[in-house]
Amino acid sequence: MKERDEELGRRAKALFDESVDGLDAASLSHLNRGRQAALAELSRRRQQWVRWMPAAGATVAVLIAILVLAPQQQAPEVPIAVADMEILLGEDDIDMLEELEFYSWIDIAEQDDDVG
Amino acid sequence: MSFDAAVFAVSWPGDRDTGTQALQAEQQLNRFLADVERRALRIAEIAVRDRDEALDLVQDAMIRLVRKYGQRGSDEWAPLFYRILQNGIRDWHRRQVVRNRVMVWFGRGSGVDESYDPVAGAADPLGRTPDEDLQNSEAMASLESALRTLPARQREAFMLRTFEGLDVAGTAVAMGCSAGSVKTHYSRAMHALREQLVEHGPDSGWPGD
Repeated sequence: MKERDEELGRRAKALFDESVDGLDAASLSHLNRGRQAALAELSRRRQQWVRWMPAAGATVAVLIAILVLAPQQQAPEVPIAVADMEILLGEDDIDMLEELEFYSWIDIAEQDDDVG
Repeated sequence: MSFDAAVFAVSWPGDRDTGTQALQAEQQLNRFLADVERRALRIAEIAVRDRDEALDLVQDAMIRLVRKYGQRGSDEWAPLFYRILQNGIRDWHRRQVVRNRVMVWFGRGSGVDESYDPVAGAADPLGRTPDEDLQNSEAMASLESALRTLPARQREAFMLRTFEGLDVAGTAVAMGCSAGSVKTHYSRAMHALREQLVEHGPDSGWPGD
């Protein structure tokens, strides 16, 4: 049974191949045009991509610039407490803070002189 | 360097290799389609009985393959291509059924050529190959007629396995079913064909008992 099936399959394949080889020129030409149309689709898509590549590159560059620069422009203000801590922790500024009352007295005195 | 490669080289000078690879892939697709298109045409023609319709179906399958699966590995193309083609053939048959119903509605008959004689109908391809041996021609006509009497799934399994040479796994992908179903359809097709073709006798050109 299996041998007969294999023989039938071989015979069918041989006949089929013969009919394929006997295709007329018009059909072969039609097939060739269809294949070229299909491949043209591939080229067209690729060239479309190439055409848009400069614009896409510029867009990406702008987006990167925005991402890099935006944090600096929109940096949240340092809370006052944090600023005070920086002043307090800086050794150079401690002397100035100790003389703070003196500087205030000078300001008041100058204002009184101006009035007087 | 061809125009396509030049486009890549100019637009993206550092990526000439990519352009060359794209062209190689396109050439590979071209070779695949050139290799498969004639067999695909005959398979479609046997299924729909019309050369022009078969040409349209094959062209459509080629475009869809390139568009959807062109980036896939070349070893996947054959099953995918035939899956697209078989889907196209099934859609064609569905449209024919609807068209026939509409024709009946408008009183233009069933749209089906009820006097259609499979053997006589199959003689058309013979007229296009007058140099073929007469016995082989008649045997092929008998085969086509017998194939057209098979259920669609059995016909698909037989043609993909025997004519296109797809293995069981590839045929399963092309038919969108399991490998077990392919084996069942193929076995039943072979059984039915053997019964029909051997009936033509020893002069039919088919292996008998």
